[in-house]
Amino acid sequence: MDPTNPNPDLGLPIVYLVDDEDVVRDAVAWLLRSRRLLSEGYASAEAFEAMVLDRQADAGERWPNGPSCLLLDLRMGGMSGLALFKRLSERRLTEAMPVIFLTGHGDVPTAVEAVKRGAFDFVEKPFSNNALVDRIEEALRVSAQALHDQRLRTARQRRLDELTDREHEVMRQVARGLPNKLIANSLDISVRTVELHRSRVFDKLAVKSAAELAHLLHDMGTDPRPLARESPPVE
Amino acid sequence: MPVIPPVVTAGILTRSLRSRALLWGALMILLVAALSLLVALTFHYRSARTQAAVEASAATAADQFAQVLDRNLQMILALPGRDASAETWQRHAQELLLAHPEVLRLERRELDNRIVDAVDTRSRPPLFSEMNRADAQLDTELACSTAHRRHGPTYSRSYFVPHSDTLGLEVMDLCIEELLGDRVVGFVTASYSLAGLLDRLSTEGVAPGYELSLVEGDGSRLARGRMHVGAGVYRAGRIVDVPDAAMQLWLDSASTRPSLVPDLVTAVVVGLSLTLLAVVALLARDVRKRTHVEGALAEALAFRKAMEDSVVTGLRARDLQGRITYVNPAFCEMVGFDPAELIDQLPPPYWPPEHHAEYERRQQIRLASMPAPPSREGFETVFMRKNGERFPVMILESPLVDGAGTQTGWMSAVLDLRAQRRAEELSRQQQERMQATARLATVGEMASLLSHELNQPLAAIAAYATGSLNMMDRHAPGGPIEADVWPELQTATQRIADQADRAGRVIKSVHDFVRRREHSREVVGVDVLVESVLPLIRLQARKSGTRIEVVVETPAPRVVCDRAMVEQVLLNLTRNGIQAMQLQPPADALLTLCARQTQPQWICFSVTDHGSGIADETARQMFTPFFTTRSDGMGLGLSVCRTIVEQHGGALDFTNLRDGSGKVVGAEFRFTLPAAPSRTAPANSGDAPAEPAARLVSA
Repeated sequence: MDPTNPNPDLGLPIVYLVDDEDVVRDAVAWLLRSRRLLSEGYASAEAFEAMVLDRQADAGERWPNGPSCLLLDLRMGGMSGLALFKRLSERRLTEAMPVIFLTGHGDVPTAVEAVKRGAFDFVEKPFSNNALVDRIEEALRVSAQALHDQRLRTARQRRLDELTDREHEVMRQVARGLPNKLIANSLDISVRTVELHRSRVFDKLAVKSAAELAHLLHDMGTDPRPLARESPPVE
Repeated sequence: MPVIPPVVTAGILTRSLRSRALLWGALMILLVAALSLLVALTFHYRSARTQAAVEASAATAADQFAQVLDRNLQMILALPGRDASAETWQRHAQELLLAHPEVLRLERRELDNRIVDAVDTRSRPPLFSEMNRADAQLDTELACSTAHRRHGPTYSRSYFVPHSDTLGLEVMDLCIEELLGDRVVGFVTASYSLAGLLDRLSTEGVAPGYELSLVEGDGSRLARGRMHVGAGVYRAGRIVDVPDAAMQLWLDSASTRPSLVPDLVTAVVVGLSLTLLAVVALLARDVRKRTHVEGALAEALAFRKAMEDSVVTGLRARDLQGRITYVNPAFCEMVGFDPAELIDQLPPPYWPPEHHAEYERRQQIRLASMPAPPSREGFETVFMRKNGERFPVMILESPLVDGAGTQTGWMSAVLDLRAQRRAEELSRQQQERMQATARLATVGEMASLLSHELNQPLAAIAAYATGSLNMMDRHAPGGPIEADVWPELQTATQRIADQADRAGRVIKSVHDFVRRREHSREVVGVDVLVESVLPLIRLQARKSGTRIEVVVETPAPRVVCDRAMVEQVLLNLTRNGIQAMQLQPPADALLTLCARQTQPQWICFSVTDHGSGIADETARQMFTPFFTTRSDGMGLGLSVCRTIVEQHGGALDFTNLRDGSGKVVGAEFRFTLPAAPSRTAPANSGDAPAEPAARLVSA
């Protein structure tokens, strides 16, 4: 089994390479190919961003649809690597697509700062190459994991969204561990109806117990939504 | 102590002479006037004194006159009366006449004026020998009748009696009633000679030394004393108290008008004494003044001497032939000769023999332009010490002018330039060191850029190498490598070589820049200059995406410069320009490097960026060393640039570029370098600016 691709259903991992030096892009691509990794090179941050926008337009929120990581040169003409990183993290793309910075001699503090802000790592040029590839593979694994989690969550969310309002109310109360009778009282419906809703919720969310339901909701990071829905909370 | 120029002294001198003459004249006039007054006063005083004495004597004499008459009256009254015999009377009368020669005749008359007895004086012939008594007794009879009427002695008017031995006598008669008991029985008359009366007064010592005379009321003289002769100058008259005889007694002093001569002598003596006093006073004052002036002069001389001895500037005076007339100790010390070895020597011993001819010529030129104004600009020349050592000096000359205003020579201040030369040399070395430091600093400031520039090829090399190794590893060691991998491995290896080469070039360009080259001026084409520094410029420009535009005329103008230094200036200015545009979008980031010949002798370089311009605050300080707006800069760049350009004789300045609305859209730094003399005749004397034929654009 390919260590870089723990979830074969996620597609082939890809390494995006943004560096304004042609020869560096070429060299790194050669290196990655020697380790059987796919790579795509971009000569500037702008070009890469354009590509991202393009693909997102095609694939919607689901892009990136495969494990990926971004090798980003910190210092470039035009938009700098750091600026691109900021924009990507604003779009919450850096979770599924970890960013490894390539830095020159004098940029280490900047790179450290970037790591603190969520970059995966930084590598000083001239880098130790197989170690770089090892870090890239690590990043790809993280990416695959993040992508997997994301998809799971998306699926659960979708199921959560399938619940009717009444089922939602019942689910919330169940998740809090209230007995059916109390739920029936508070919602002013019969116990029988509560039981019906409860079994439907368990069905739809594929859980077997109230504890499991609470755990799931906790995992989703959202408490059961209140009845009067506001704008959907940002994940 | 001010030194008074001779002309001014002369002016003061003539002025003092004139004022002194005036003083003397006034003194003399005053003296003469005073003396004349003195003489006049003395003269007048003496006259007044004499006159007063005459007056006093006249009064006394008039009294005496009256007294004499009174006494005689008493004598006559004492004569025996009618009751005595005629002989008795005659005897007594005779005695009286003998005792009083002024009485010429005594008569006794009856009441009817008939003469009873008459006695004449014996001292002279009888009075009435020439004329009859009867013819001359009208006045007598009148007097007697008055005496009879008055009952007192009465004098007659005087009358003239001709006389045989003399020219005649003026006679006055006294008539007294002769009483017998209480009855008037007759008269006694006495005839006085007026002249005799006056003589009598003189013999009695009245008014000694005066000529006495009796004058009638109308001024005609009646009688004159014979004892003295008056001078007719000091006279005084008194009316004589003789009843019925209106007469004045006049005194005429024998002393004549006082002589002026003794007064004059006195005056002259006094005057001379006074003059002498004045002269002595003036002399004393003069001596005092002179002493004072001499003291001041001595002080000024000492002052000048001290000044000459203390100055480190050599002082030298020469006459018009170039002979030295004066040197100060500093000059002697400078050239190492004693004053005695210098004074009057021609040519001066401190002229280096090899320069004699040239200095001689200079001397001639100086003499030819003789009425030259003193110039503040000295000239440099070379002198020789006694030991033969040559040294540079700066000479400042000004003409020496005597009291009459004619030039007599030259005064020169001579400055030893050795110390200055040493300082200049030291300063030059420091400048060089500073520039080397600045060059290193430039590289230091570029360090991160350079490391980046080196890291790129090194990173590529490492990646290619590792990749290749990975590829090789994947195949069995020693086993055959798949045919399709070979070309890739070859490409990768080729790239490794290329990148290693590239890294080497970067290092070389830095090395070329930093290397300490000979500081020498050489003629170099502007294009060569720009080309040599362009790699480093591009190095910087690439990262920020700045485009570099180079505009150089063809054929490229050539400059005389120190190449290494000018390269540094270009690098500094372009680097500043590129950094100024870091915030600009890459489309606007254009740096123009332009070099063109603006004037026959000057080539103008300009570096134009499109950044935000230079703020006023920055503009004020940016040429001072260690001023920088960047955190990683040393701040030596612009100050060193300016120093370098100025060392070449050029100038470095800048202007902010503004668009139509006055907004700052960039900055242009310009500097000039001297153009190399053209090899050929200057092409088309520049009526149209030469088109930039070479246009190199680097992205």
